[in-house]
Amino acid sequence: MSARATEDLQAGPAPGERREPPAQAPAAAGKGRARLAPGDLLNLIGRNVALFIFLTLVILASLFVNNFAALDNAVVILKQSAIPAIAVIGMTMVLMTGGIDLSLGYVVGLASIVSGIMANTWLWPAPAVLAAILALGLALGLCNGLITQFMRVPAFIATLGTGYVLYGLAQIVSQGSIINRLPKDFLAIGRTPMFGLPSAVFLALGVAVAFHLLISRTIYGRQLKAFGFGARTAALSGVPGARINVSVYAFCATLAALSGLLFTIRVNAAQPNMGGGVFTFEVVTAAIVGGTSLFGGVGSVANSILGVLSIKIIENCINLLGVSYHLYLAVQGAIILVAIIFGNLTNRRA
Amino acid sequence: MLKPLVSMRGVTKFIYGGDGRPLRNTDVKILEEVDFDLFPGEVHVLVGENGAGKSTLMKILGGVIPPDRGELEIDGARVNLADARDAREKGVAFIHQELNLCANLDVAHNIFLGREPRRRGLKDAGEMYRRSAELLKALSTDLDPRLPVARLSTAQQQLVEIAKAMSFQSRVVIMDEPTASLTKREIDVLFELIRRMRAEGMGIVYISHRFEEILAIGDRFTVLRDGRRVGTLPIQAFKPDSVIWMMAGRSIDEMYPRAHAVHPEPVLEVHGLRLTPRTPPIDLVVRRGEVVGLGGLVGSGRTELAKSVFGARRFHGGEVRYLGRKTNGWSPARLIRAGVAYLSEDRKTEGLIPPMSIRENLTLASLRSVATLGFLSRPREERQAARLIDELSIVARSSEQIVSTLSGGNQQKCVLGKWLCTAPQLLMLDEPTRGIDVGAKAQIHKLIDQIAGAGVGILMISSELPELIGISDRVYVMREGGVAAELEAGPELTQERVVACMV
Amino acid sequence: MTIAPAARRGLALLIPVAAFLVLGSRVPHFLDLSNLLNVVRQSSIIGICAVGMTFVIIIQGIDLSLGGLLAFCPMISGMLMLAGVNLPASMAAGMLAGTAMGLFNGLMVSKLTVPAFITTLVVGQISQGLALIINGGSSIGAFPEGFVFIGNGALGGVPLSDLLLLVFLALGFFIQRFTPLGNHILALGGNETVLRQEGLSAARLQFFVFGFSGFCAAVSGLLLSAQLDTVHPTQGDAYQLDAIAACIIGGVDLAGGRGSVPMAVLGALIIGCLRNVLNLLGIHPFMQNVFIGSAIIVIVYLSGAIRRHSELATRGAL
Repeated sequence: MSARATEDLQAGPAPGERREPPAQAPAAAGKGRARLAPGDLLNLIGRNVALFIFLTLVILASLFVNNFAALDNAVVILKQSAIPAIAVIGMTMVLMTGGIDLSLGYVVGLASIVSGIMANTWLWPAPAVLAAILALGLALGLCNGLITQFMRVPAFIATLGTGYVLYGLAQIVSQGSIINRLPKDFLAIGRTPMFGLPSAVFLALGVAVAFHLLISRTIYGRQLKAFGFGARTAALSGVPGARINVSVYAFCATLAALSGLLFTIRVNAAQPNMGGGVFTFEVVTAAIVGGTSLFGGVGSVANSILGVLSIKIIENCINLLGVSYHLYLAVQGAIILVAIIFGNLTNRRA
Repeated sequence: MLKPLVSMRGVTKFIYGGDGRPLRNTDVKILEEVDFDLFPGEVHVLVGENGAGKSTLMKILGGVIPPDRGELEIDGARVNLADARDAREKGVAFIHQELNLCANLDVAHNIFLGREPRRRGLKDAGEMYRRSAELLKALSTDLDPRLPVARLSTAQQQLVEIAKAMSFQSRVVIMDEPTASLTKREIDVLFELIRRMRAEGMGIVYISHRFEEILAIGDRFTVLRDGRRVGTLPIQAFKPDSVIWMMAGRSIDEMYPRAHAVHPEPVLEVHGLRLTPRTPPIDLVVRRGEVVGLGGLVGSGRTELAKSVFGARRFHGGEVRYLGRKTNGWSPARLIRAGVAYLSEDRKTEGLIPPMSIRENLTLASLRSVATLGFLSRPREERQAARLIDELSIVARSSEQIVSTLSGGNQQKCVLGKWLCTAPQLLMLDEPTRGIDVGAKAQIHKLIDQIAGAGVGILMISSELPELIGISDRVYVMREGGVAAELEAGPELTQERVVACMV
Repeated sequence: MTIAPAARRGLALLIPVAAFLVLGSRVPHFLDLSNLLNVVRQSSIIGICAVGMTFVIIIQGIDLSLGGLLAFCPMISGMLMLAGVNLPASMAAGMLAGTAMGLFNGLMVSKLTVPAFITTLVVGQISQGLALIINGGSSIGAFPEGFVFIGNGALGGVPLSDLLLLVFLALGFFIQRFTPLGNHILALGGNETVLRQEGLSAARLQFFVFGFSGFCAAVSGLLLSAQLDTVHPTQGDAYQLDAIAACIIGGVDLAGGRGSVPMAVLGALIIGCLRNVLNLLGIHPFMQNVFIGSAIIVIVYLSGAIRRHSELATRGAL
């Protein structure tokens, strides 16, 4: 009985506040402008850890790694970040609900080969391919969401399963081959030069801005946050939990499909092996470095993108230093461990 | 003269503040200078209202929590119990109301968890089953020790717990409301068992509020009220009226504000609602501007009723009408939009989002009112928050303060504020002043009066009788899933009367 | 009356037997003795992993590090062998590496309360990365005869792989049935509060379970490389989900508290048979993925639905 449980808690060993002393009246009465107190300041730093990490890396790399602080190197980093940046947005939303999408990398692979077939074999015009791929991602994401929410299958197992299925489908659809030399109008989606950068970067920027607004400024975003922190309170406050839970998986797969499309354009090759588990892991690492909490509630598009930039900087440095690329994979693992341990020690949990 | 098995002297337990330290100087304590003893071969019944301190006292005896003052002697020797296991080793077994078994293991493996019998280093399953069968046989049951616990009825699970307690050679057994989920026959079996344990010289502490059972099985009884021991008497002196007076007879010296007027128009009508297929149908009305109190013991169904009305819990049969419209099957979201609000008794996990700010919490249930086309308007939000902070006298640095850092009273005001933002016409409050300091309590009482004065119908669940009686225009008393009585404010609405209906 | 354990076990047994009979009669060469022994030989890899995974799932965890360990551990052993270190020591080193990674998982789960799926995912990724780094991404092979014999030889007509699987099956079964430890592990998965009340340490159990799973992964990886006479740095990818699928098909409950090692190994054999049959029928190899992935989701959903239904039925009082 919930009532009884609460009654027991009151007299339990832990602070059971049945009645309390009158609250101390602090300085401000609390109307209007906020005045910063020491606790709030620490909060501010804590909330901007991603920026802090990013700036530290930039400074360290500029000082210690040759050729890092050059304009064309910055361009390279931006170009490499665009694709995971799109994917990390969706993953951040899923993590904010306390779930995970382990099928993300496999959505990328399927989207890649399908887009190649649509563009090359079926000769669809570029806008049609774009629309179709987004629709594909949406459908796959809805599946993930429905399985997780209504079939009550835990997210990690559900997405592990669907990921496996998608991987198989991608292989079957590709019939073992890779599609090269994709049509120009298709490639133009991501390769049109704008201000010295490929259009993919601006596409990513646009998507990022849109979702940042969605999460930080809309009713949906507020409800998402509340749902992630405390699903029960949210449900009792009228937040449509089921709808939100399904929607984040839908967004995640749609964005993953888009990033798969752009990835295909970037390397001019449609292949079923694109992305995969390694890509999923990279995106999760970026989200966590960006301060997203595994337990839900905490997450921000801007910070996750800073996370992407941060790990791409690390990758970039590894390349410039001539160290084996494989080290990058192991290092990612170490990074995520550190981020988790650090987060565990400082994070508030609902 | 027989020596007591257990002797507790001067046991005191303070209330703990938000910082985890005990508040030693307040008047109110969870337990105050309580003496309690238990002799071999007796059933000592412990009686009291919600929050009287029965559970706490027994938790101290059971080693679950330590006393802040006072002494505990077991078998004449002074002891300081480290934890529940320590208590068990010293001969005290606690049969909790929520049973402590692993549903996925069988009976024998539950009984011997952690001390599995071994033969040459390996688990001796044969010995386990044999000894379990013996223990169960001693309890006059032929329950098969190989059965998985998940397949047992509550009564059978209870027997397993008792068997486990017996296997530790316990001399003292504490039973907390053991008959809550038992049928009449199962209760008879249990009592037979208790009598046998008594005959063997064991001491049993029996916590219950069911008077017929107390008379059937008890030898002595102790009444606790507000943390103090009111009296200990032999069972022959157990007369319902005087026991009720001992449980609830306290002077109400606080004045409760009563400036609102009741209108005849019903806001909420409940007809024939059943909380479970087996509980009696409930009829209930709340009118505009009326404060309706809902009293009853823990487990009587008050919260379940409120949640059923709120669409957060499924009910079996009957209908709910809000402002004349049938709302069976409506979701909480839909009801909130229509003007129904429910302030949960569990502030931290159902009322607030602790890591979010005051402003974010206040607007959570009424986001549409501070948004345009789906986009939240920060200025409107801040204005809304500022208004409520002012109206409710919430003490905080700013509306951006994180609610987990607020005191209990201010947190509760935040939750109340959240619901006021939804402009409700029916406001259901579940233990609105639990865990709050006296000052904030008074403020909330005043607010309730004002809200009712504005024409809102209020349904208030409370375990604090003075509050329940002081504020309500009418009180329903619930018992075991149904409504036992409906009492109008006036001379007949006394604490004793309410308690009499509860038990 | 609830449906749960007994019926579930019965169901789980009926399916493979029925499938076996149907498949056997329809598919050419399936029931040949040589084919069957081969199926077992190939299933032994995920079978051994499934033994360790069973305990992990019982305590409500999951081990996603198998993929990486299946490459990392044999890579270590392989490099040592090629450098001239004797066989037992090389293999011991690989097994030690796997166990250490497993213990690390246990540490993260018990002391830092990191969810199992994330810590094992990370450890798997790190192991995978290390496997790639050790030899710059290339495979190694041409191992000493003794090692290759383990993977491909036979004793009295029975492949050594099958015998090794049997050994691990026996070990897992033994722990579950004949040791108090087995009971404690089940209790941890069923009701951690009760376990702690009895003074047992949840952390120690978590260390053991994850460490053992890492050990199983190491052995299984060594066996795989012995069979192939090669260590390919990404050889573990395909096996990760199969091991989990084996447990799930074998009736191990993802919600924790229930599961039997022999049934999980049976699950591994079922998967092996399934893949074998699909191969013999000439069906696209990756169609198997589609089957297995869908099967996992369906089975988890069904077992969850059955459990919720039986819980609702037994809940009587308010």
